Amino acid sequence: MTSTAAAHSSCRQIAPLLEAFGDEELTSDKLLEVEQHLVDCTTCTERVRLNQSLHLSLRSAVRSAAPVSASFEERIAAALRAEAAREEVIDGAVLHEAAHSRMLSWRTVVPVAAAAALTLVWAGSAGKQQAQNTNGTAYAQTDTADQLLEELVDHHMNARRPQVTEASMLTQFEPEVGVPLTLPSLKDYGARFEGGSVVPVSNQHAASLRYMMGGHHVTLYVYNSSRVPIETRLKPITVRNEPVYVGSRRGVSIAATEHRGVGYAIATDLNDDESAELVAAVY
Amino acid sequence: MSRKASISAREFETEAIAQLSALLGVASRLTRNTADAQDLVQDTLLKAMRARDQFESGTNMRAWLLRILTNTFINRYRRGGLERNVLDGPDADPLADGWISASTMESLRDPESQALRPMLEQEIKRILDELPEEFRLAVVLSDVEELSYKEIADIMNCPIGTVMSRLHRGRRLLKGRLYEHARAMGIVGPEALVGDTSEKQEPVTNLAQYREKRVSRS
Repeated sequence: MTSTAAAHSSCRQIAPLLEAFGDEELTSDKLLEVEQHLVDCTTCTERVRLNQSLHLSLRSAVRSAAPVSASFEERIAAALRAEAAREEVIDGAVLHEAAHSRMLSWRTVVPVAAAAALTLVWAGSAGKQQAQNTNGTAYAQTDTADQLLEELVDHHMNARRPQVTEASMLTQFEPEVGVPLTLPSLKDYGARFEGGSVVPVSNQHAASLRYMMGGHHVTLYVYNSSRVPIETRLKPITVRNEPVYVGSRRGVSIAATEHRGVGYAIATDLNDDESAELVAAVY
Repeated sequence: MSRKASISAREFETEAIAQLSALLGVASRLTRNTADAQDLVQDTLLKAMRARDQFESGTNMRAWLLRILTNTFINRYRRGGLERNVLDGPDADPLADGWISASTMESLRDPESQALRPMLEQEIKRILDELPEEFRLAVVLSDVEELSYKEIADIMNCPIGTVMSRLHRGRRLLKGRLYEHARAMGIVGPEALVGDTSEKQEPVTNLAQYREKRVSRS
């Protein structure tokens, strides 16, 4: 620092401010103080210039080291368009169900009082089978739901070797299952992911994700809820303000819920309350 | 009440493609591997697209995407947080501590481009990649992406003071190693010490020395 700057701040006071000065993060009074100091101090001026040089070189080095190729850009665009297409399918299904639900509202009152508190989306999902059928076919739907539950229990009891064991590989099931697939960790419950497969359910496909939790096998099914209506034969309850359906088949507890058109059902040998708690935590 | 955006899928795609260079640059320095970086960017954008109704219009889309990218990186590669190593490298260095002359600092810069001299610039990516992740990310977000301290704090989920500390230590390590490299290459010669030489300190080599020095400074 030169002698003419004696009246100004010392380098010791100013040096700690120089980085924030270069980052344009100083308050106006500190900014003025630094600028006054730099007028006379060649050393601090050179520090600022070196910081700027480092900044320029870092920017250039990082950008040039990772150029965006045309093929990568196309890959990303394709992935985003595929995701958009999936959203359209899901949104279309939800709207379709909601329309049917409204048609039925005057003639088929939801038979369980608890169901009245459920969300509109869930009501659409829960009521869709009743909504689109006359008396005769309503029995057929009930039979279908029973059959679905039996199939879920069968897959849970007779789990085969998983097709994939890495969570990152689950996305390859998305075209078959028809919904986005990301692995719910359930780590807070001590559940460990063992692997996943695609299983046929009611002539559709669901992802079957297998966990081990404190010595209990847990199977989480993920599916397009508009095509796999399993909840009509289950009892509606509310867990943390979310609608969940629970019931049992052959000693296996089943709990189901739905979020944005994606259905989640858990099959376990836990009790119904534990299964409901678990399925409410999956999204 | 925050203003939520309702961005269509098409609009989101346009915004996302515009941010690819920034996202890939940061992802590459985090993963230090091109294939992993590309996967990380794709995972980030798919997550962001599914959660785009949470983006607040009028805020910085790039900062929002970088926050998702950082969280995705931590969850996928670094369960428990970013790696840190406060003793990675010398704690004191001649450049940052101010006992190198202005002429020596000047000789590190290229007079035409105002960037570092080409021989140093070639090494900067390698030196950057050797920094602990916390420092490296802070430096990249500030010096490359030019985000504010507040935006970096949001991305790294830490206070602004911590951002400033990480930036300072990261840049200090960078400059120290660049200086070492410049000396090894003969770009600068042996330095006659100037300025506040009383601040010159020997580099610490273990945690006990580091703590001792911190106590003596305070």
